[in-house]
Parts: sequence; C-alpha cells; structure tokens
Amino acid sequence: MRHWLSGLCMLLALSSVARGEINIGDKGGITYSVSSSKTPQVVDDENEIVITADAKRLEIKFKAGRLVYDGKDCGTIKTGDRVAIEPDGKITVNDESRPVTGLVAAWRFFVKHWREFLYGSLAAALALMVLLSLIGKVPVSYNVRNLFVRWKTTVMTALAFTLVVALMTVMMAFVNGMYTLTESSGQLGNVMILSSGSNDEGFSNLAFDDVGNVEKMEGIQPYGNDKRLASKEVFVMGNQTIPVGPGQKPKRRFVQIRGIEDPVVAALVHALSLKPGGQWFSEAGVEEVSGDKASTQNLIQAVIGNGLAAEMGSDRAGGKPLTVGDTFPLADRTWKIAGVLDSSGSTFDSEIWVKRQIAGEQFGKPASYTSIVVRAAGEKEAIKLADKVKASKETALNALTEKQYYSNMAETSKQFLYAIVVVAMVMAAGGVFGVMNTMFAAISQRSKDIGVLRIMGYQRRQILISFLLESLVLALIGGLVGCAAGMLADGWTARSIISGGGGAKFVVLRLVVSKEILAAGLLLSLFMGMLGGFFPAISAMRLRALESLR
Amino acid sequence: MLSLLGTLAKFAVIIVKNVRRNLLRTTFTSLGTMTLVLVVTLVWSVLSFIDDQTSEKANDLKVLITEKNKSPSRLPYAYVSSLKEGAARAPDDVRPVDYMTWVFYGGMLDPTKPSRENFIFLIGGEPEKIPTMMEELDQLGPADRARLDRAVQRMKEQRNACVIGPEQLKTMNKKVGERIKVSGLIFKGIDLEFEIIDTFPDAAKRYAQTSVMNIEYLLAALEEYKVTNKKPHPEGDAPVAFVVLRVKNRAELERLTAQIGDSPLYTAPAVRCESQGSAISSFLEAYKDIFWGMRWLLGPAVLFTLSLVIANAISISVRERRMEIALLKVLGFRPGHVMGLVLGEALLIGTLSGVFSAGGAYLLINKLAGGIPFPIAWFQRFFIPDQALWWGLAVGAGTAFVGCIFPALSARSVRVADVFSKIA
Amino acid sequence: MSDAEPIVRVVGVHKYFTRGAERVDVLQDLTVDVADGEFLALMGPSGSGKTTLLNLIAGLDTPSAGEVWVGSELISQMSETGLARWRTRSVGFIFQFYHLLPVLSAYENIELPLLLLPLSAADRKKQVMTALELVGLTDRMSHRPGQLSGGQQQRVGIARAIVTDPTLIVADEPTGDLDAKSADEILKLLDELQRGLQKTIIMVTHDPHAAERAQRTLHLEKGNLVEQTARKLERA
Repeated sequence: MRHWLSGLCMLLALSSVARGEINIGDKGGITYSVSSSKTPQVVDDENEIVITADAKRLEIKFKAGRLVYDGKDCGTIKTGDRVAIEPDGKITVNDESRPVTGLVAAWRFFVKHWREFLYGSLAAALALMVLLSLIGKVPVSYNVRNLFVRWKTTVMTALAFTLVVALMTVMMAFVNGMYTLTESSGQLGNVMILSSGSNDEGFSNLAFDDVGNVEKMEGIQPYGNDKRLASKEVFVMGNQTIPVGPGQKPKRRFVQIRGIEDPVVAALVHALSLKPGGQWFSEAGVEEVSGDKASTQNLIQAVIGNGLAAEMGSDRAGGKPLTVGDTFPLADRTWKIAGVLDSSGSTFDSEIWVKRQIAGEQFGKPASYTSIVVRAAGEKEAIKLADKVKASKETALNALTEKQYYSNMAETSKQFLYAIVVVAMVMAAGGVFGVMNTMFAAISQRSKDIGVLRIMGYQRRQILISFLLESLVLALIGGLVGCAAGMLADGWTARSIISGGGGAKFVVLRLVVSKEILAAGLLLSLFMGMLGGFFPAISAMRLRALESLR
Repeated sequence: MLSLLGTLAKFAVIIVKNVRRNLLRTTFTSLGTMTLVLVVTLVWSVLSFIDDQTSEKANDLKVLITEKNKSPSRLPYAYVSSLKEGAARAPDDVRPVDYMTWVFYGGMLDPTKPSRENFIFLIGGEPEKIPTMMEELDQLGPADRARLDRAVQRMKEQRNACVIGPEQLKTMNKKVGERIKVSGLIFKGIDLEFEIIDTFPDAAKRYAQTSVMNIEYLLAALEEYKVTNKKPHPEGDAPVAFVVLRVKNRAELERLTAQIGDSPLYTAPAVRCESQGSAISSFLEAYKDIFWGMRWLLGPAVLFTLSLVIANAISISVRERRMEIALLKVLGFRPGHVMGLVLGEALLIGTLSGVFSAGGAYLLINKLAGGIPFPIAWFQRFFIPDQALWWGLAVGAGTAFVGCIFPALSARSVRVADVFSKIA
Repeated sequence: MSDAEPIVRVVGVHKYFTRGAERVDVLQDLTVDVADGEFLALMGPSGSGKTTLLNLIAGLDTPSAGEVWVGSELISQMSETGLARWRTRSVGFIFQFYHLLPVLSAYENIELPLLLLPLSAADRKKQVMTALELVGLTDRMSHRPGQLSGGQQQRVGIARAIVTDPTLIVADEPTGDLDAKSADEILKLLDELQRGLQKTIIMVTHDPHAAERAQRTLHLEKGNLVEQTARKLERA
C-alpha cells in the first residue's frame, strides 16, 4: 500500500490548486493535476513518466523529465518543481514571483505526510481525551456510570458509531485489497514490452516479425546457459459456457488466458510457483484422453490460478475448488489441469496459463504475442531498459516497467475510494445527528445534577469537559467495536475488475484491513463523537444553576 | 364515522404538537433521517438500474448475437444478412421483429496528443435502427423524437454524418456543424472524417457521452483499404461487435437460439445467442461481489443505523413524557391511543424526511449534478429513478416504524400509579 | 442577637426580578447580621423572599442593590467564577430534595466538593470518612442514593455540606420531604453540628417545629423583615 490515500488528499487538494498551474510533487507515486484547455506533455528523460488524462484534467506521475507545452520545449523539470501556465500560454518553471499560497502549500504538505497526519490526529484525539479526564474535576466514573444507567440509549448510540466505522473499514479494506493486488502483481525488475501505442496487453498486438531481437537486448537477465528471463506471452479473453441444469438460464463467464512459450521462464519472470502436486504443461501442451485412444481431440493441459480454480469449482456439485487432474470445458474443448498456481494476491490468480500456440490458435491470435515480459537486474535497470526498448530504431515498441503497468491499473480503486469517502461522510453526518439527540437528552435528563455541581462550585468549563468526555467515551467504545467488527472482513475474497490505462482485468482480491484503515475508522468515530457532543456540552455549560434545580 | 374522523383529527393535532415540542430533537432526527435516506437512495439507484439491465424480460426482448468463445467479440459482416432473419430457413421459423448491427469505432482527433479530450468513441449501426433498437430512445417525447428522426434521415443520406452526445461534444470542445477528422485506434489505419450533424436531446440522459455513426461508412472505408493496400485490413474480416435482434417473447427466443445454434452458417467463428439481460449479467458478473456488498452490507447497515437514530430519538421523548402519558391515561386514553400517538409522531418525522430527502436527491442529482458519477463497467453515471420518491416514503416510514415500535410499547405500558409515586 | 462578631452581614439589600415589563420586588432594603456560629432560621409564606435571601447569602445570586459580606469578603461584588470558587471553600448546601447524583455512591457524593480543592487522595478520604462518621452513615457509604431512605439521603446531603469544613451551611427546607421521625433526626444532627463544630447554619423552613431548633428566627413577608424571635442559647 504505497500512497493510495494520497489520492484522496489530491482530490481535496485540487480545489485549491490554481487553474493553469502544474505542481510537480513528491517521488513518482504522487500525482498533481492541472486544469487547462491545452495539454502539456512531459517527454521523458531518464525516469518513469506516465501521462494519463481524463476529460477534465491532466495527471502527471513522474520523477523528472523535459516539459513540452503547446509544441514548445520548456526545459527539464523534476520532482518538487512548480510549473505555471500563464494566461497568455507562456510556461514558467519555479517562478518565485508566483508564490505558493498558504492553502496550497498546506495541502501539499498534507498530501505528502498523510500518514503522519492520520496517526497524529488520532493521537491528538486520544490525548485530548486523556487531557480532558485529567483536567476535568467531575469524576469520569460519573459519566461512565450514567452511560450504564441509560444503557439502552448508550447501546443504540454506540451501535450507530459501530456500524458507520465497521462499514467504512470493510469498504476501505476492499479498496486497499485492490491496491495491494496491483502492488504485488508487478515484479520490481520487470519490463513489459507492448506494441507501440498500446498501454495494455489486452490491446497489444506484437506480430512475430515485429519483435525482432528484443529478447536478446542487453540488460535482460540471463537464465541457464543460453536463455534469458524473457517471457513471450499472448493474453486473451475467452467466454466459458458454464454448464447449467436443464431449463436453467444459460450462463457464461469471462476467463483470462495467458499463452506462454516457456513455463519455467514465465514462472521465474513472474515469481510464481505451482502448488504442491502440480506440474507445468508439456512441450506439446496437450495430452491424449487416457484410456480413449479413439478420441479425436486431445485434452489441453492448463495451469490455473488459485482463485479461478476456486471460482470454477463453485460450478460443480459440492463446490470444491478444481485441482490437479480435474477438467473444465472452454472454447469447445476440454482442458485438463496440470497444476495450480500459488498466485493468491496477484492478478495471475484469475488466469489460465497454457502453451502459447494453443491460446493463440483457440482465440484468434495465432501469429502474434500481446506482450513480452523481461527481467532486468533491478528497478533502476528496468526503467533504463524500458527506455531503451522504446527508443530502439529497429522496432516500434512500447515498454513500461511492470510496477508502473500495475499501478496504472489502480484507477478503478481511486474511483471506489472517492465513492466510499462520500458515502462514509454522509453516513457519519447521519450518525452525528443521532449522537446529538442522545447527548441533548442526557443533559436535559441530568440538568439537576448539573445544577448541584454548579452550586457546589464546579465551573462551567468543568461541565463542558464532563459532557464532551462522555460523548467521546461513547464514540471510543462504538468505534473500537466497529474496528473489531470491520477486522472480521480482513481476508474476505471478492471478485472485481481493476482497470486503468485502457485495460481491465478480472481479479479475485483479498480484503486487507490495515492499521491505517483502523486508525482512520477510530478517528472518524472520535470526530463524530466530538462533533455530536460539542454543542450539547455547550448547552449543558450554559445551564443556570438555580433554574436547573427547580 | 364523523366522530371517528374528529378523533383522528384531534390525534393528528396532538401528534403535530408533540413533533413541534422539542424542535431541536425533531430537527436532528429528521436531518439524520434525510442523510441516511440519501445514502439508501444513491445505493438503490445504482442497484435498481443494474437489476433492470440484467432482468429477463418476458416479452419484446432483445437478443444479443456475439462470438461464442472469445472476448471482445468480433463477427464477420457476412453473418448479418442471415442473422437479421434469425437464420430462418423454413417458412415457419421464427423471424426477429427488428435488428441492429453494432460496430465500435474509436480514435483520436489528434493522434500526437493522446488524451481524453482527444478521444472519441462511436457506435456504428444502421441509422434507421437507432431510434427503435437503442435503449430508451423509443421513450423520447414527440419533439425530441422528430429531431432524432431528422438526424437519422440525414445519416442515411450522408454517410459521414454523426450524432455526438452533448457532454462528449463539450469534452472535445466541438460544436454541431463542425467537421472532425479521426485517426482510427481500434481499426488502425482507417481514418474517417465526420460531420457533426446533431447532438442527443437532453432527455436522453444516458447518451450524454455517446456518439453514433452509420455502419456503412466504416464498411466502405474497410473496403477501400483492401483495394488500396491490396490486402484486407487486419480487423476487416470481422468488424462487427454484435448483432441485436428483437423477438416477441421467451418462447421465440428459445426457438431462435436453436435456429441459430443449428445453422451451418456460423462455424468460424461460432456464435452465442442470448437475451440481452443475461449477456449484461455475464458482463457484470465480475462486479457481483461489489453489488452484493452494496445490497446486503451497505444498504441494510444504513437502514439499521437509521432505525437506531429514530429509535433513540423516540425513546428519549417517551422517557421524558412518562408523566404526561400517565396523565393521558388518567384522562381515559387507552394503551392503544398512547401507542398511536408515539407511532404517529415517529411516522410523521420519518415519512416526511424520507420523501423530502429522496425528492431532493432526485432533483439535485438528476437535474443539477447530472447523475451520480460512479463509473462501473461501461456505465458512467447513474440517475435517481422516479420511484425513488416511493423509496423515500417507504424507507422513512419503515425505519420509523421499526425504530419506534419498542418505545411505543414502553409508552403503552406506562402505569399511572408508578409515575405518580415517583414525583420528585 | 448573639454577642459574637457577625460572620454574615446583609446591608440594605434590594432584589427585584423583571417579569416581562413588570418589576417584581422580592427583597426591599433588607439588613441582617448573622453571628459566627449562629443557627438562624428564615420563615415566611411562599413568595416572602426567604429563599432569595438565602441564595444571596450563599452566593448563588447577586443583589440588585446593597451589599452582602461573608467574613471579610464582599460577595455581592464577585464575578460568577469568583463566586463559584468562594462557594467551594466557604458554603455547604443542604437541599429539600437532597440533590444527590444518583449514579454516585454516598461516599462519592460526599467527595464531590473536595475534588475542587487541592487535596491529596488520602486527605480527601480522611475528610469524607470524618463526615460520614459525623452523620453516622459509615456502614452505608457504598450505597447509591436510590438504595437509601429519605432520612439517610439527607444525612449524606449534610455530610456533603460539611465535608469541606465551610464557614457557612445553608439549608433550604432540609426536612420538607421527610416524615416527622426522620425530620427530627436531621434537626438533631444540625443542632449537634452547630453546637459541636460551631458551624453557622442558615435554614429556610416552613415548619415551626424545625424553626424551634434555631437560636433565632427571622420572619419575612413580602420582602420585609417583620419579626425576630430569639431563644436562649441553652436548651433543655
């Protein structure tokens, strides 16, 4: 989970970024946006540069490069530089006469340090509670016991906190699962080589002639005596007709098939292995139907992702995951499972791997690859290698590091994140109103208590502290239970699609409840408690001693 | 009868007065209800649209013919002439009522600047089939329909004419009447020039980002490519994405499926014949868990939270008014009456807030915000359906009822003696 | 009138409330001295101003005109915060309806005023235990108010009033909610406090029987002092 919450911060930051200004921030992963009718382009120099654009704004993710705007070269820019588009279309880089306004600067700082802010705010909220209970003279046991006395109201209110926090935790865990998936699918040293102009293997088409000697390029790690860690692959999507009982609605599913030339090399490149008991498909990729020599069609040998094995298993009676030796129908052929990939947590979990030739012939790409994935020595070398491939005069190819490829796939996650934040905020608002009701009622019920305390000499602020603390205690309890309930979702699996950069992949992802999510949930709960408790506490503070005793 | 009405009216007066007594609490409860009903409305709007798209219609249903084993589906154009007849051979074979061929053509206005502003995606088909075979366009008002018909007529006469959705136009910064030159992306090397002859009417909300063109234009360009380059375009042998047929009922669908399945015409590639609903549900299968979560986790949890908020508010009110309730009983109110007062109060707040929230969401989101921006699958935006007003009413009333049932029972069982003995 | 130096001096005090446009005079040009260690009863019909006078002396309210001195402090001029602080140190309150916090035990209720003073936990405990012993409720100290009888609750109330060792104890109808027997016990307790600990007690009451316990009774009517009765210090 890299900077995914920073996406959220960015959304908020957008509103404060002046139109026409590009802010290049932080290391690679963080993105700033620009609103402009003309599209600036960043020509890469040495580091990863990706431009993705949507209808309204342009997003640039990179470390350094040359900026070209409206056909004019504006020089090299790097992380931390500030680029402004003047009204007349002129570009200025790091123009000190255009100071960063306080708000923008503050947002940038916030985006950069979101994790510190999150934990800091939570620590501050908890510290505030401790502080309030220390400077408060009304014993905390008074509040706690009152919570017990009106336990029905307490339970109802705390449950509202619990539900909001638990829901938020589950939803965030889903998004986090998406990010984790895209994070863990790419290998650091890997470079994906695609056909020129395509950013996704689903749209890439590398005719055998086009590939040339790309796998012989320098910088690709060797393997064995004469081989290299280069996996030539064809990635296709098939429709599987799901067997249903008579009279039932016909069903089908999309399956992703990856044809590979050399399974051993592919496994090394993608750092995957088979689960015990399995083996890779044979050189031919097919086998005869045992005991039935008369059968005209051979069985296609396949290696199947763990997640897909489970999903396909749910078709059959009993629902047990498919395993080595089982068969399944696809594209009017019978496929036999030779091995199961130990692939959970990556996009390969939902794929079928077969001999390249078979995948190509079955799915209409008999003479082409969709991608070649090669392994460089490390992350830096991978970036260099990708640049070299792209710059090659011999071939017209596109290349990007696998990390970048998969982080582009996180687009969907961002959309979900925004949707979740909106839903969580609206729900929280609903919860706050509930808390306010509870606290106002608590105060009107205990106005006599407040009167006595005031007569005895308790100051107004002591009353405020006492009731605020009560609301916070309620929020803390509800929030903690909510976090605990939300944690149950950790490890749930869910099907989804990840997409971005034009491509999409069907995946089975695992919900991941992280410390950050729990902290955010608890913080939300305390925030609700603070907001819901503050106004009632103010009203309690304003009660007049003598009148409240009448 | 009259006296009953009179009694009810008096009850209503008491209920309204009770609601107005603690304005602060009523406000908070109703604001809480409104925000939570809003969430439910948003969630259900998405789900109901998805359900509607994937539901199996019994009559007048659309059938999708796609490539059987591969995705994305690509069919030879030669299939169309027989497919539009439902592969009917015998005189009593089923023939579709209507059909449309779909091709997808996408490309860049300026191929050197790959950006969303530069990208256009067009659906190509037989122009005359657009009003009848594309979703919801048959529901346009007479004026809009006449406008669409004029555009269709023009597309038929002028092959390079296209209709572009208003939002797409804005994104590209183009106007009706302008010409655009598109460099093909899906069909590489097939660059087409279009004249934008019209935009979709505002009433066709779902077409804000959609563009349509005449299929003939693309087919002719592919033919030209073949002649110029002396070899067919790589994608030219199978340019069709799918064919949509319309049949009268499910029985016809089954016969049609058999006809097409048995036909020797469709072997390379083989075709799949399925109702549009089931095709869409296959596409959405991957999102099933997300929809499941929305339907069974998010929705119920919000409803439950809403019940809690109302239950809390009403039980506080009942507790505060125990004395009064006892007094009412002394005056001859029966337990049922007391319960009715509490129920009435909760229902009044819940129902009004629910309707108000759903109605507000309907107006704000559909009219002002232009839909819920929740891009999932190929849907960009979701709209609040007309029935959302009923949801607001039902959710408000339902959660209010559930929420106040226990407080109402406790109010019902207030014992006169208990209360008076506890004075002070 | 006692010979001792007055601890409370109410000088020319005037108090009125405005009800809408109407002005209601509750106390008119009232001057009262209370001697240190005196047990004073305030009597009078409803609306006579006796509770208002008590509130002024206890620093719960400020006069419209005139001065209220307690010891060397002019409390009629204090700010609200100042009054709150002064009350904590100098006044113990006893109410008709006890006004104990229902969720706290007898012990904790008595401890409440001490929490505002800079005392160690050990000191607080000592003081609470002393107060509990004085009112004879050591065995009930962990009971909640709901588990105590009216008389017992009022004794907790008294213990809470004396636990800070205040200069002044004010009691508003302390026996008004009690049966005759319990009322008698409470009055006896107040008597003992006054005599044993030399506490100044000012008590508002309707009950002539209760007033008899006091050394001096002031009768108020419509905001004016109408009668004073003093009894001998020594009683049978």
